[in-house]
Amino acid sequence: MTVRYAELHALSNFTFLRGASHPEELVETAAALGYEALAITDECSMSGIVRAHAAAKETGLKKLIIGSELRLRSGRKLVALVQNKGGYAALCQLISKARRAAEKGSYELTRLDFESGLPGCLVLWIPDRDLRLDVEDHWIRETFRDRLWIAVELMADGRQREQLERLREEGRRLKLPLVASGDVHMHIRARRILQDAVTAIRLRTTVDKAGFALHSNGERHLRSLAVLAHAYPAELLEESARIADTLHFSLHELRYEYPNELVPAGETAGTYLRKLTEEGMRRRWPGGVPAKVIALVEHELKLIADLEYESYFLTVEDIVSFARAKNILCQGRGSAANSAVCFCLGITEVDPGRMAVLVERFISKERNEPPDIDVDFEHERREEVIQYIYGKYGRERAALAATVITYRPRSALRDVGKVLGLSDLQISRLSRSMQWWDGRTVDDSRILEAGLNPDSPVIRRLLYLVREIIGFPRHLSQHVGGFVICNAPLHELVPVENATMPDRTVIQWEKDDLEEMGLLKVDVLGLGMLTAIRRSFDLIRDFDGRDYSLASVPAEDPRVYDMICAGDTMGVFQIESRAQMAMLPRLKPRCYYDLVIEVAIIRPGPIQGDMVHPYLRRRNGEEAVDYPSEEVKGVLQRTLGVPIFQEQVMQLAVVAAGFTPGEADRLRRAMAAWKRRGGLGPFEDKLISGMRERGYAEEFARQIFRQIEGFGEYGFPESHSASFALLVYVSCWLKCHTPAAFTCALLNSQPMGFYSASQLVQDLRRHGVEVRAVDVNVSSWDCSLEAGEGGAPVLRLGLRMVKGLSENAGQRIVAEREKGRYATVQGLMERAQLDRRDLGVLATSGALQALSGDRHKARWAVAGTEKPVPLFRGVEHYEAAPLLKKPTEGQNIVADYQSTGLTLERHPMCLLRRHLDRYHYMAAGQLPDMSNGQRINVAGLVITKQRPGTASGVTFVTLEDESGYINLIVWRKVAEEFRSELLNARLLGIAGELQIEGRVIHVIAQRLFDHSEMLGELSVSSRDFR
Amino acid sequence: MSRVWKSPVVARDTAPAARQQVLPFAELAAPAKPLLLTPRPVQRLWFCIYLPQLPLEACRSSAEALVIVEEQHGIHRVLLADAAARAAGVMAGLSANAALALLPTLKLEERNPVREQQVLERLASWLERFSSFVSIADRNLLLLEIAGSLNLFGGLQSLRQTIVRDLGMLGFSAAVAIAPTPLAATWLARSGRRICIRATENLGPALRRLPLTCLHWPSGQRELLTGMGITAIGDCLRLPREGFARRFGAERLLDLDRALGHLPDPRDSWRAPERFCADYEMTEEQSDRELLLNICRELLLSHEQFLLARQLGTQSLCFSFFHLKSTATELRLGAALADRSASRWFELLKIRFEALRLPEPVIAVRLRSGLSQPLLAETARLSFSHKAEKQKHRYSIAQLAERLVARIGDHSVHALTMVAEHRPEYAWCARNPLSDWTASTLTMLTDTRRPLWMLPEPALLPADSGYPLHRGCRLTLLDGPERLETGWWDEGNVSRDYYTALSGAGMRLWVFRNRQRTPDWYLHGIFG
Repeated sequence: MTVRYAELHALSNFTFLRGASHPEELVETAAALGYEALAITDECSMSGIVRAHAAAKETGLKKLIIGSELRLRSGRKLVALVQNKGGYAALCQLISKARRAAEKGSYELTRLDFESGLPGCLVLWIPDRDLRLDVEDHWIRETFRDRLWIAVELMADGRQREQLERLREEGRRLKLPLVASGDVHMHIRARRILQDAVTAIRLRTTVDKAGFALHSNGERHLRSLAVLAHAYPAELLEESARIADTLHFSLHELRYEYPNELVPAGETAGTYLRKLTEEGMRRRWPGGVPAKVIALVEHELKLIADLEYESYFLTVEDIVSFARAKNILCQGRGSAANSAVCFCLGITEVDPGRMAVLVERFISKERNEPPDIDVDFEHERREEVIQYIYGKYGRERAALAATVITYRPRSALRDVGKVLGLSDLQISRLSRSMQWWDGRTVDDSRILEAGLNPDSPVIRRLLYLVREIIGFPRHLSQHVGGFVICNAPLHELVPVENATMPDRTVIQWEKDDLEEMGLLKVDVLGLGMLTAIRRSFDLIRDFDGRDYSLASVPAEDPRVYDMICAGDTMGVFQIESRAQMAMLPRLKPRCYYDLVIEVAIIRPGPIQGDMVHPYLRRRNGEEAVDYPSEEVKGVLQRTLGVPIFQEQVMQLAVVAAGFTPGEADRLRRAMAAWKRRGGLGPFEDKLISGMRERGYAEEFARQIFRQIEGFGEYGFPESHSASFALLVYVSCWLKCHTPAAFTCALLNSQPMGFYSASQLVQDLRRHGVEVRAVDVNVSSWDCSLEAGEGGAPVLRLGLRMVKGLSENAGQRIVAEREKGRYATVQGLMERAQLDRRDLGVLATSGALQALSGDRHKARWAVAGTEKPVPLFRGVEHYEAAPLLKKPTEGQNIVADYQSTGLTLERHPMCLLRRHLDRYHYMAAGQLPDMSNGQRINVAGLVITKQRPGTASGVTFVTLEDESGYINLIVWRKVAEEFRSELLNARLLGIAGELQIEGRVIHVIAQRLFDHSEMLGELSVSSRDFR
Repeated sequence: MSRVWKSPVVARDTAPAARQQVLPFAELAAPAKPLLLTPRPVQRLWFCIYLPQLPLEACRSSAEALVIVEEQHGIHRVLLADAAARAAGVMAGLSANAALALLPTLKLEERNPVREQQVLERLASWLERFSSFVSIADRNLLLLEIAGSLNLFGGLQSLRQTIVRDLGMLGFSAAVAIAPTPLAATWLARSGRRICIRATENLGPALRRLPLTCLHWPSGQRELLTGMGITAIGDCLRLPREGFARRFGAERLLDLDRALGHLPDPRDSWRAPERFCADYEMTEEQSDRELLLNICRELLLSHEQFLLARQLGTQSLCFSFFHLKSTATELRLGAALADRSASRWFELLKIRFEALRLPEPVIAVRLRSGLSQPLLAETARLSFSHKAEKQKHRYSIAQLAERLVARIGDHSVHALTMVAEHRPEYAWCARNPLSDWTASTLTMLTDTRRPLWMLPEPALLPADSGYPLHRGCRLTLLDGPERLETGWWDEGNVSRDYYTALSGAGMRLWVFRNRQRTPDWYLHGIFG
């Protein structure tokens, strides 16, 4: 008789830091060993089952059983196995309850939680080490009656014979059947080393001190049937298979249902969506809807109806309507967001007329992928939206998706290093010299550099384990904003647990799992630029009554594009980075779609795939636009034959390499994860051979593949780019036409964007707008607009700019000022109830100028304030006036930077110019008059240093002086020679060569000098003793 | 036989626990009787040594490119860098990672305040040759009162040169200053200026110009002052006294007064912790063991007196027996608990002395005690009855261990401890029986059956067609296997199947088959 066996007790690595194999590995191995079934029974978790489910489909595992290992507070251990759909829901509910009752990452179960009896589940009773099934536990027997087995898990620990006898005896005594199971922690024996290591990580100890917490051997793996037949009595093995035969549940049976309360009585989702869309259409085109739009909407509604996505659109519409009612600015993006329907529903403001785009490009019938709408909200008000969703659907039905945090090289090195007994310093040295490490191969020289011997056994163990553990899940975290909303309670679908943030709950599945299961999620994200744009609109309205919205900002204004082409885009959305600014004068965007491309092109994907320059040349007419075939032309025509968007790459895979839409979709997902999981291998062969078979050049195929790799985690889809481009345009329009309001809004929305407050304010002043200092008698908490000479808006810095001042204190200052201006520092302290710290930071910021004179005097006054005694309230304290020096301009500048991060005095470089002249440094403003290739010296404050992974060792540095910015390129060789200067200098001097290309000016650094000591001289007065 | 009694001397040691004494200023200044002479106030002169590089220099590493790092808010930051590191651009305040980015071969050493204190104390005791009054003023500052030493060392210049030169030879870079008040001396030394002020009236002008960065005041207060444009001591002195005290506290004002000599500034003198050391010299060589023992007892008695006066005990003693030709014979004694009782120590000595071989007659005996420490209360006692003497001795476990060690030697007595380990050969370890009885813990045993009698090394068993043989007979495997696969993290990786086996002679044996490489059988233990 052949042996039949089903493994009913197996933990994957989603039992964090206990299981030592991926669910996929367990499934593959069980299938290969010919098991009748495999149960994935992660401890109080369902996080790994979707992956196991997918793997089971692929590998042809006979049966996948869903279950969970549960440890009660009393120490009793049970394994619940799902029998049917009801059992699955009951188990998910139990897990949710246990998880919700405890801190994040743990759970809490007592016998009371089993009162419902866990219908629809079979239960294995895992005996304790002392093999005794206590009389006290008869409730277990009572509760599960005919669904209870005693698990016999023989682990070659020398007691197996005794164990079997004892359990047989107990079984007879309690009238319970016995079944064989394996307490599986790993798919193969070789993983025991990793299993020991994760155990030590879990217990926060080293492996050699973990003692009996480690298993004594590697038996807890998926053993072959022959070995099992030797270890267990045949009837116990057969019993496992018999149990498996009675379990029929599969994840296929789960059906997701949309929330249905959004549809009013008497309507269906379809009719209601049509109604809302038509209302929106009339609102958008009050003067009559163009026939083209009507046709487009009809077409889309039919597509949506065919795919039954009506409820999804209604759900998103509801959230967006809430935000609109609360005056929270929002904007949708993603595959379905750029449809005419979404425009009508107000989910997005991108007029489909503005870009000739077919929704099919985003939703495809045959790909059968769920539509994806991300909605960005103002970052400071996103919480309101989240609470609305919880409020409307209840915590039972709405929860955030999880993100599985996995081991990356650095975290792996840290954790594994610790359990092998390496010191913190050794570990940080190692992770420093291996920060580029992909986890596969490592140079001995790097290890030597960290002061360790690459041949030492400890290091070899370390590297082995690090390679093994990379990609292992470590814990669940919350997704940035992916909400799952469901018609029935969510916990019938998937367990819900607590997140780190109070009042947040997450489901145990992550994004990929949701896609696999066909669950829809709405991404509720926060975007700083939306906050800034809304604030700009508010400021403009309050200042001169003009009222704007995302939709009503005048479209396609040539002055805005002039500004963009000049690279004058500091502070705007997306196209403000240095790389973007350098590209703008070359790309010369003149219309909305140009912006869509601009947003997508300056990214690692297209750069790595070498797409930027061909596109530039073609756009400038320097290179002919040609296509290897008609199909490719269809895909690439709108980007001049150069693939720029993620969608294009996938379409290419279909039309040029013969991928099915399903395969293309898998390719897309693999793209996002290939760095973590390692493995575009099969796709590479298929793609390249597919393209070659269809007559494309090898070089073209390789280029496409390189770009797929480059897309990696940053791949940018056209559907997102299109929505972002609108925000780019609106922010540019605001910067162009209302710079004071725009900068004011940016300052009030900090931290966000690429530039510091100092740079934004300097930029504003260069555009001729006056900026006024912080003043306790004038400033509000936020920066604000005042009418200056001739009624022009002037930016007044707010109290929020004062570093170290709490918002509460700031608001008290403003509120108390309503009753009259402040006259003295002591009065300010008493009226606004400030403490000495608050006053100190105000003195440093210069905001007390009006009360006590210069900063030195202000600080003296502040230090002399005394806590008001009720009796003597308001009594002035007279004391001799001190002899204090006046602060120098340099000291004021330093204090300005310290406190508000910016100065309204002269630029510090003005003061240092005298010293710098010795070195013949030129100012940034003089550079455009020089000629290309000229040798020059420049100096400035270092404001940004970037070393993009794509730019093969080049460091980009931006310097600032009193006349503007200087962009440096430091090649790797120079960077190494002048490592100290490059890393340390705050004031950097450069000898180098000028490179001028049109309006783009770079300095190629040849020698670097650290002049930081000169900055010290700013604050040091000349009388100092040194 | 004649003996010369030498009084015990007190040896000073540079261990961290320093005892401090106050130099009685007032008594020195006050005359005993009102004479006609007007008492002249004693003019003091303070020599300050500032050791800015102490953390680095205390490290005594020969490494080039060395930095001392200190953890601040969870990040290791560079505190001090040596010349080679500085040349590569590594400077104080950088994070350890940033420093390594500059110089990958950099050696990082964690700051060790205990070591620094030890170095400082060693220096303090070394400096006692220059002055009878040495004081540790801060963790990198030493003060000497040198008014009385000037003549002895040939004047101020010469004294200063000597000290600076000797410090340099010891490997310390120091900034020194001399002033009539201790605070002025420390501030001047911290300023890095080599300055010598002898007269109090000259202090004012010199101090006025000192920047506040030289002061020991909290950095927050210094920053506050700097923020008001007050950067030198002179600026402080110009401020209204009342206003200054209100803002910065009266203590700061007093500091200024003390520094300028307007107020007295008494200091604590530093004293090394004490250790007993006494010599007993004989006029002629002796080899009478009884006599030597008596001398030892006398030394032990005076040792007891010494410790009694200080409420201390010690855990170790060392007798040295000096000979004319050979090097001294040493006899070390250890106790499990700190003790001072002469009779107890003498009992231990007697046991060991019997076995002591003296190569030649003895000319002197020295007793040195180990580090002294406060006495501990005693623990439970075991009861032993001595049949021959028909009397009961009650010993504590500690005393029993001491006596056993004394009788049969350090390396022959062990305590056993269980270790939480699956591998049988690592599952226990031996421990020094005299160390730390109080902290001993026994870990739980596994419930798997292990023989009490384990072989020191597993012994290879011959095999007959795969079955193990013991003394020529096939073993019958009774129970098993117990599989052990573990220990990969050190060099003792094992992969074995253990069995209980019955030998032909009826012995129950613990054997295993190796699962690695060759599947040989080994005998590892015998069940009793």
